[in-house]
Amino acid sequence: MIQKSAILNFPKDLLDRPVISNVIRNFEVEVNILQASITPEEDGRMFVIFRGGKEAVEQSLAYLKNSEIRVYLPVKNLVWDENRCVHCTACVGQCPSSAFTVDAQSRQVVFDAARCIACELCIPACSYNAVESISEHLAKTGGQ
Amino acid sequence: MAKTYEEINEKIRDKQAVVVTAEEMIDIVKNDGAKKAAEKVDVVTTGTFGPMCSSGAMLSVGHTTPRIKMTSATLNDVPVYCGLAAVDLYLGATELIEHGPQNKVFPGEFAYGGAQVIEELVQGKDVVLRAKAYGTDCYPRQKLETLINLSEMNNAVLLNPRNAYQNYNVAVNAGDKRPIYTYLGVLRPRLANANYCSAGQLSPLLNDPHYRTIGVGTRIFLGGGVGYVYDQGTQHDPSVPRGPGGVPLGGSGTLAVTGPLAQMRTEFLRAVSITGYGVSLSVGIGVPIPILDEEIAAFTGVSDAEITAPVVDYSHNYSNNTGEPLARVTYEALRSGRIEVQGKQIRTAGLSSYAKARAIAGELKQWIENGSFTISRPAEPLPGVDSGVKTRLLQIRPPQQNNHNRRGSARR
Ligand code: SF4
Ligand code: SF4
Repeated sequence: MIQKSAILNFPKDLLDRPVISNVIRNFEVEVNILQASITPEEDGRMFVIFRGGKEAVEQSLAYLKNSEIRVYLPVKNLVWDENRCVHCTACVGQCPSSAFTVDAQSRQVVFDAARCIACELCIPACSYNAVESISEHLAKTGGQ
Repeated sequence: MAKTYEEINEKIRDKQAVVVTAEEMIDIVKNDGAKKAAEKVDVVTTGTFGPMCSSGAMLSVGHTTPRIKMTSATLNDVPVYCGLAAVDLYLGATELIEHGPQNKVFPGEFAYGGAQVIEELVQGKDVVLRAKAYGTDCYPRQKLETLINLSEMNNAVLLNPRNAYQNYNVAVNAGDKRPIYTYLGVLRPRLANANYCSAGQLSPLLNDPHYRTIGVGTRIFLGGGVGYVYDQGTQHDPSVPRGPGGVPLGGSGTLAVTGPLAQMRTEFLRAVSITGYGVSLSVGIGVPIPILDEEIAAFTGVSDAEITAPVVDYSHNYSNNTGEPLARVTYEALRSGRIEVQGKQIRTAGLSSYAKARAIAGELKQWIENGSFTISRPAEPLPGVDSGVKTRLLQIRPPQQNNHNRRGSARR
C-alpha cells in the first residue's frame, strides 16, 4: 500500500469526462478528494490523495497524465521539526487535510506529509517555529 | 484518617511514598472512592505547559571595573529594565527587539524578543549586553558592551508574576470578516475554529480548586528545575462562580512563581512567536498535591468531563468586555477535536500542550518517588473564595490639570 498526494489541473474541455471514476474503476485505487474547485467555464483544480498498491497508484497517475490533466506531485511541502514541536495541537485546528492529527493515546501530534496540500495555514498558527514551508527551509539551510 | 505534611515527607525520604499523576488519580478515585484513595495515595502530581505572558527574568550581572550604574541596557538588542540597582536587570518575556517590524506588516511574525533571549540564556548561549549610564562619583563608567553567559551571572531567576491559570476561555471568532490574530492563536471568521489553553484535569489549580495545599512557599517543578510559589499570581480571582467540586467556570486563580534559570531546560521553557500578537514564554509548571484527607483526594479525582470552559468571542466581546459566553464546553469535548457552538460543529486546537503537561507530572512524580523532592507546607494560603479578592477593570479617570504634574518642574 502506498499513498500519494497530487494536485490535478483539469483543462476545461476535460471537465465532463469521468476521469476520477475511471481511475477508481480501472486501477482499484482509493481516491480521497481533499479540495476541489471546478466551475464550468474555467480550468478545474483538485487536491487528491491516491491510496493503493504501488503499481496501481503509478498507473493511475500515468493514466491521468495521458488524459492531458496536469499532475503536480508535491514531493515535500512542509518541513516539520519534531524537536521544536511541543505538541500543542494549534496546527491541527487549522489543517484542512488532516496532515496534522493528534494521537489519542500519546496526545502527541503526528504529521503525515503525504496528506499535506501545502496550504500553509499551519505556519502562522505554530508559535514554536516548528513548521516551515519547503522554500523557507531551503532558503535557510541552503538545500540541506 | 488525615495525614500530615510531616508524615508524607517521612515516607518520601524513605522512598515509600505512593505518588500518582492527576491523570492516574482519576480512575483510582472512580474505582476505590475518595476515602480509600486518600489512604492509598500520598501525593498527586500535576502539570501544565503553555504560553504565559506575565514572565521575565531577574538578572544580576557582576560589577564592572570601573563600576557602572546602568540607566539603559539591552540584551541581544532587546531592552531590559534597569530602574532597580546598578547592575540588576529585569528582562520581560514580551519585550520586543528594538526597531523590529512589530505589526507593521500585518500579521507580524514577532520573531525575537525577551522570551527568545531567556531561551538562549537557558541554552547556554552568549548574549550581547549593551548598557549606558550618566556616570557618578562611585559609578564612573558610562558605556558597556560585552558578551555575557548565564553561567557568569551572579543571580538569574525566572520571575513569573502570573502563571498556571485555573481554567481559561476558549476563543472563537464570531465575526464574518477576516481571521483575527490573538494571544489565543489564529481564529478564522464565522466560528471556523476554537482554541483553548489549559491542561484541564492535569492542571495544578484545577486539582486544588480551593487552594487547600497550594500557597505561598509551595515547592514546585518549574521549567525543568525546582521553583517556588511566591504569591498569588496577578489577576488571581477566586470570586469567579464555581460549579460542582469547586471547579471555577472561567479563568480564576493564578500563581506567582520563581526559580533559578540555571536549573531549567528548553524542553520545559520555550519562547513563542504568536503571529500578529507578539512574543511570549511557555513555562512548564508542576505542582505536587499532598493527599492530606478524603476531600483533597476527591478534588484531585477531577476529570476533563467535569471541567467546563466558556467559549468567548474574540472578534468583539473579549476586547470590549461585553457579551456573554457563546457556550460552555467540557475539556473532554475540547480534546476530542470538535465542539458544538450555536448548533455548529467547530474544530478545536490547544495552545497548552497536554503531552508536555503529562511529561511534567510524570517527571515530578519520579523526583518524589526517588526521595529527592519533598512537599512544603505553605507559609500562607492563597486568597480563597471568601476572601473578597476580586479582579477589577480599570476605570479611566482623566487627570485634572492642576494636580497631575508632580515632576521636577512643578517643584521649582
Ligand atoms: S502548532 Fe507547532 S508546536 Fe504546536 S503541535 Fe503543531 S507543529 Fe507542534
Ligand atoms: S500546509 Fe499545514 S495546514 Fe496546510 S495541509 Fe499541509 S500540514 Fe495541513
